[in-house]
Amino acid sequence: MPDVHSLVNECVTKLKKRKVEGSKATAKLTAELLRSFISQQRLPHSNQAGSLIDAVKTVGEKLIAANPVELAVGNVVRRVLHIIREEDLSLTTAAVGGLSLAAESDDEDDTEHDDHPVLSASAVAAAARNALRPPSLQTLLEDIPHSVAAPHTSSSGGDSEGKSKSADKNSVTRKLKHNVIEAVNELIQDISTCHEQIAEQAVEHIHHNEVILTLGSSRTVMEFLCAAKEKKRSFRVFVAEGAPRYQGHALAKELAARGLQTTVITDSAVFAMISRVNMVIVGAHAVMANGGVIAPVGLNMVALAAQRHAVPFVVLAGVHKLCPLYPHNPEDLLNELKSPSELLDFGEFSDCLDFGSGTGSPLLHVVNPAFDYVPPNLVSLFITDTGGHNPSYMYRLIADYYSADDLVVRGKSAS
Amino acid sequence: MAAENPNPKISLYYQTRAAHHGVVTSDWLAQAQAAAGGRSDDVVSENYLSSGEEDGKGFSVVDEFNNWRKQPELAEAVAAIRALASVIRSSQATTMMELEIELKKAVDSLKSWDTTSISLTAGCDLFIRYVTRTSALEYEDFDSAKSRLIERAEKFGEISYKARRIIAMLGQDFILDGCTILVHGFSRVVLEVLRTAAQNKKQFRVFCTEGRPDRTGLRLSNELAKLDVPVKLLIDSAVAYSMDEVDMVFVGADGVVESGGIINMMGTYQIALVANSMNKPVYVAAESYKFARLYPLDQKDMEPALRPIDFGVPIPSKVEVETSARDYTPPQYLTLLFTDLGVLTPSVVSDELIQLYL
Repeated sequence: MPDVHSLVNECVTKLKKRKVEGSKATAKLTAELLRSFISQQRLPHSNQAGSLIDAVKTVGEKLIAANPVELAVGNVVRRVLHIIREEDLSLTTAAVGGLSLAAESDDEDDTEHDDHPVLSASAVAAAARNALRPPSLQTLLEDIPHSVAAPHTSSSGGDSEGKSKSADKNSVTRKLKHNVIEAVNELIQDISTCHEQIAEQAVEHIHHNEVILTLGSSRTVMEFLCAAKEKKRSFRVFVAEGAPRYQGHALAKELAARGLQTTVITDSAVFAMISRVNMVIVGAHAVMANGGVIAPVGLNMVALAAQRHAVPFVVLAGVHKLCPLYPHNPEDLLNELKSPSELLDFGEFSDCLDFGSGTGSPLLHVVNPAFDYVPPNLVSLFITDTGGHNPSYMYRLIADYYSADDLVVRGKSAS
Repeated sequence: MAAENPNPKISLYYQTRAAHHGVVTSDWLAQAQAAAGGRSDDVVSENYLSSGEEDGKGFSVVDEFNNWRKQPELAEAVAAIRALASVIRSSQATTMMELEIELKKAVDSLKSWDTTSISLTAGCDLFIRYVTRTSALEYEDFDSAKSRLIERAEKFGEISYKARRIIAMLGQDFILDGCTILVHGFSRVVLEVLRTAAQNKKQFRVFCTEGRPDRTGLRLSNELAKLDVPVKLLIDSAVAYSMDEVDMVFVGADGVVESGGIINMMGTYQIALVANSMNKPVYVAAESYKFARLYPLDQKDMEPALRPIDFGVPIPSKVEVETSARDYTPPQYLTLLFTDLGVLTPSVVSDELIQLYL
């Protein structure tokens, strides 16, 4: 449908040109786009979920390629795929359960005949459940069906039960799109309210007369600190300015306006002040599957300082920032180099930075990375909208929210 | 009727490993033969008599297992499950319960034959779990159940091979161009990882520890040279000396324990300690059927697995020799485990085991 394609292309352009920035905004954009895409998608009668998954994967691949460093895009795509699989599974088990119940209620003397279809249906449901769960030791020896077996089983379940049930099956599978869209709406809602959910936990972590350190500006951190202030906790905040963008200044101003005692320090002063600090609270750009954090530049240094002085390093992250990938080269692959003009003034340094003068290659290089990788052993606690977690617990959350089959989002080649 | 290990002082598991990939000296062979020679006749006749009394077929699961285990490409657990498949095939049971009891007896005799092999124990336990779980669920007649079990057991060899492929694909992502990898011990899984990375045209070089007393490093460097990967051999004591040039450490595992730590060839713990102190990641490549329900609290908290060491010169009799073949590396020194279940942090291992066994 031309309408949907133009929507997709619009979003891809926005992501490419960095018109939309920040994980929350991009996550919402992706989720809303996928919602419109799914609602306008025409689904075939059989293997609904499979075709929907393929369609979403194709769109997802384009979106992820537009901005590979913005991991929230990939996260949302994988969440939606997981939602599709889950909804399909619950519909299948409901359908199978309904069919087996009907078979039982038919007649008593044919119990032997009925036993077989009833139990094969439950075996089918069990197989479908296995297909959804990530590979585990339990299923190692079993004949694991293909990943898109869940929709297959729904159709095979229908066949074995006879033609009279096929009408039932149609009405049930029509619900798939509806359920998926409902779940995606919930996802969008979660993304929008993640700040509030995290801020609710503030009062458990910040106590009286504490000194909190943060770097740069994160909306989550600000809401978190303000929520504690509302609950009448009195505490002080050190804000490291976060060169070269100096967003810490804006945060300090906001906090002062809300009545919090704030101190602004340079990034280099962090090591000097850390011994006076009770807790470091920061936001994150993304959280990787091993518990490592992609955070604004400078936070690796703060984490090391905190470890050195045994100060808890707490990371606030909404669940849409949780990425199921393992970082094997985060400093290069998951980093963005921003414009050197944030560091140096072009006018003053034009002779050193000029490509035209001398040998054609400038002697002065300016590197302005946007992100830092903080390894999991430096993080004490993650606070997400579902509560506080250890870095080594992240794999559990990933298993809840993502399917193992979706780690590589690659659409089927055009047929 | 459990078969007796001819020489409980020597771990059969490590003997087989040495035979597969070590460089065996004639001294060692003579030593082993002398130790085994005295009692082998008794053992064989004992086996024959006891199995003759029991089922009148002269079939011994231990012999079957030993036959399979001799093949160097076959993983230990695959050999065990194949042996159990042959038990099912030759069984005369008529109900699932009878079959399960026979299997349990076979498993017990296998375990008592070699108390030191963890993948043997883990593989057997996994298979028994599978039999118990599926026989309760499925409503099928006995013969089809039996044939299904045999078929799955035969397929396990394929599963094991596929597991190695998956681990290789996951692991080679972590090998970057221009990196230096330190490898200890001869693990077929790690070799597969390196092979896949080389096939994907990654430029890296490998430091191989010599791996005394099995001298696994020699065999591994041969294999790597075939792949045109630059290799450097280090003596075991040179690991700390070279560690600053190394970017990551890759090891296999004989067994993965519940805490997330690993049991591997002697020297692994040492290397992990050095790597940790220099902030180098330690990656473990292990198939998931090596997860075992053990929780060693220290190095001596396991079945002793002893292995004769040939020093090349005679040692005076009052000098003791530490002959343990393996050590335990606690989970805090390991960075990631590559398994066919995916890339795991050490804390995930106990989760998987709990899901399976409870």
